[in-house]
Amino acid sequence: MKWLKFAARNTLRNRRRSLVTIAVAALGTAGVLLASGFAVRAYQALEQAAASDTGHLTLARSGYFDREEATPLQYGIEDYQALTERLRADPDVRVVMPRVRFSGLVSNGDKSVIMLGTGIDPAAEFRVRGNFVQLHAGTLLGSKQDATAEVMLGRALAQSLSAQVGSELTLLASTRAGALNALDVRVSGIFTTGILELDQRTLYTDIRTAQLLIDAPRVSSLGIYLRGMDVTDSARARIAARLQAGFVLKTWREQATFYEAVRNLYNRIFGAMGSILLVIVLFVVSSAMASAILERMRELGTLRALGTLPSQLIRIVALEGATLGAAGALLGAALALTVSVGLLYARIQMPPPPGRSAGYPLQIAIVPILYGYAVLAVTLLSTACAAVIGRRTTQKTIVEALNHA
Amino acid sequence: MSYAIDLMRPAAGAAAPVACTLRAISKTYRSGEHTTSALRDIDLAVMSSELLALTGPSGSGKSTLLNICGLIDRPDAGEYRFESRDLGKLDEPSRALLRREAIGFVFQSFNLVPVMSVADNVDYPLLLLGVPARERARRVADMLERVGLAEFAVRRPDALSGGQRQRVAIARALIKRPRLVIADEPTASLDSATAEQMLGLLRELCHAHGTACLIATHDVRLIERCDRVLGLRDGVLQ
Repeated sequence: MKWLKFAARNTLRNRRRSLVTIAVAALGTAGVLLASGFAVRAYQALEQAAASDTGHLTLARSGYFDREEATPLQYGIEDYQALTERLRADPDVRVVMPRVRFSGLVSNGDKSVIMLGTGIDPAAEFRVRGNFVQLHAGTLLGSKQDATAEVMLGRALAQSLSAQVGSELTLLASTRAGALNALDVRVSGIFTTGILELDQRTLYTDIRTAQLLIDAPRVSSLGIYLRGMDVTDSARARIAARLQAGFVLKTWREQATFYEAVRNLYNRIFGAMGSILLVIVLFVVSSAMASAILERMRELGTLRALGTLPSQLIRIVALEGATLGAAGALLGAALALTVSVGLLYARIQMPPPPGRSAGYPLQIAIVPILYGYAVLAVTLLSTACAAVIGRRTTQKTIVEALNHA
Repeated sequence: MSYAIDLMRPAAGAAAPVACTLRAISKTYRSGEHTTSALRDIDLAVMSSELLALTGPSGSGKSTLLNICGLIDRPDAGEYRFESRDLGKLDEPSRALLRREAIGFVFQSFNLVPVMSVADNVDYPLLLLGVPARERARRVADMLERVGLAEFAVRRPDALSGGQRQRVAIARALIKRPRLVIADEPTASLDSATAEQMLGLLRELCHAHGTACLIATHDVRLIERCDRVLGLRDGVLQ
């Protein structure tokens, strides 16, 4: 305690220099925490989006994930209703959503455009995933109770076909047997995903319409939605253990190539940024400690003459570095926390990222363990560089130190 | 070397054991191509309880001799024994531990730690020795009482006069009851009355604890009150 008190008092000798050092350490810590908090928030948003898109788990026949289908729904699941019932029995499973993926052409009679279609259970899909697309015009699928087959089109696809809500279109696709099938549908709604490329090709319809078009009572996969992200691995292990041969179960993460790519990119960008900030902190603390030690060379010589061991002297100097570093790190953590909480209330919108048509709220995640690591890292770094500087002073002889002007 | 026998003999009436012994000690400083002999073939014995004054002009080697006796410098040649123990091959940490335990220093410019209170400055040697807190507090209070600074215990050194600071330095040197005190011009920055008071204090405490005191000084008042006086000129004891 005496040593800590001594170190704390030493840091107060040149208050201006200590304040500058603490301020730089604080800004460095806050910078690291805000950047990593931003990245974590982005990861969380992407995780939610990825899990919402596919389901926390996706069940399909072997071959579905890694081979091209020779005919539509070649790897489709036939008795999916019974399988769905069995999956629902798991305590962590909230909803099981069958999906039919198909491709083909959509035509207005004059023009045909390539489309990527998905047959969904509209009621369940919109209930569980919320408005995963932004409705631009019309109504969501399944809102009208008539027998006419309906589709929702991406905005760019609708524009390409000059289609509006209520327009009659024809879907053309290969059947499971290899024949070409056509089905008349009516446009119930026009949506945007926020990504232009998807809006140019995407089309949603109900499962029954998709199965009619492909002429197969199958679904491509079952999206399994769980009670939370954190039960994904345990639920996967449990469900996989009960699966019969010929089925494959994948987590959202195994299918989220975009999420992994963004995460890798952000980790590199923010990792480099954090390293630069820490190097700046290191230089400033080193410089401050070097000046402080130079000014006190005689005093340090006196302490050595009194019997202070070189290792104790290094410890004294290191403790000063630790005091400065810890003060700066704690201040920086408080600053980052204040900014993060402030942003929750400020509701600042970020501009749309490249390729997207909608912005997103600027939010910084508050992760206690990150705060702990950042404070610890800055404190340890300051301690270590102060110790290195302190070690240099012990290489001078006591006589040289005592005679230092 | 004709004076060597006299120098090695204890002062009159001082039948105490030898605190430290120097035999044929030499020290040379090199600066570029220049070499300066600071000490040449010094033979000396310092007895316990003895106040030994070293006099001589500036550059005569007094401080170098003090540094070697105080284990903060090493001779180039010769043998230095502390309480009959040859310290020639002692490594730096061991020398530091010996200084910590057995040697006290009083510097010309006090060399107190400005961020420590008077009590903390005096307490520092005991802290290094690992003396329990309660025992330290008692001994510090007692020592400050003896040097007349009890009411200044919580003050910082910069709030004290020169004389008071030097008393703190003496208290710091003597608190651990060392066997040898090294004092380099301890009265140089003090007025006559304070110097007199300081010397009386040093003498009283050294005699009380059987501490040998090696003092480098020009101060005639101080020289007159020492048990033995040795002159040093051009690195040679006169």
